[in-house]
Amino acid sequence: MIIPLAKSNPSTETQVAVQTQLSGSWKVVVLNDPVNLMSYVVLVFRKVFGFDESTARKHMLEVHEQGRSIVWVGLREKAEAYVFTLHQWHLSAVLERDEAY
Amino acid sequence: MKRIEVKLSVSVVAPLLDVLKGLAYEASSEDQKQAPRDIDSEFRDAWNQELLEHQKTDMDVLFGLFNEQFFVDGSIILDPTNAEPVLRASAMLRLRLRETVLGDINDEDLEAGQIHLETLPDNVVRAFMGYLFLATIQELVIKHIEGKSDEA
Repeated sequence: MIIPLAKSNPSTETQVAVQTQLSGSWKVVVLNDPVNLMSYVVLVFRKVFGFDESTARKHMLEVHEQGRSIVWVGLREKAEAYVFTLHQWHLSAVLERDEAY
Repeated sequence: MKRIEVKLSVSVVAPLLDVLKGLAYEASSEDQKQAPRDIDSEFRDAWNQELLEHQKTDMDVLFGLFNEQFFVDGSIILDPTNAEPVLRASAMLRLRLRETVLGDINDEDLEAGQIHLETLPDNVVRAFMGYLFLATIQELVIKHIEGKSDEA
């Protein structure tokens, strides 16, 4: 919900609106693609998130079998950085607001 | 990862490089869709631009493997400085092949390698061979990064 703090100042309203839109908790979701090797996806998860082998493999199998896996949840800025890094590795990844937050 | 020297067949690999180079530096419409939808256009442009620059650097490293020495004796050198760029560039090119030349092949057949080459045009066959070649390079690098080369 967007609650402007000062109705008399449109720029403040905009800032607050943007902050409110982006605040809270965000999910980094990796989506399946039919191209990348399973071993490659596991390696990327280990490198980017520091997962151990079994955690990385669990997420890779979720992506492969269910089409998506939530690999990280937290603040927007860091979630964006993770998505960008995953894109550099050519994995399909998106940001989603964590509705449970 | 240790430095490894890999011997390839120049006559087999060189024609594949032509196919791959043709796709390497093009901007993909899929890549452009990647940035988060709720960011402003300036941020989106910066996001896409930085990805493209990063991608170009990785491609330069990948194609740098196929230098004069490769054309003399077929050898390429994989080491800790080029391993990750080679992995990323290979992933990008496989995705690019999938969305272009190999676009008519269904996912299951491609994943299982169940392709009847004799029924396909030459350019698709070469693209498929390039697709497999890049996967082989990736598997080799991953094995060595993970220190599992003794199992190979």
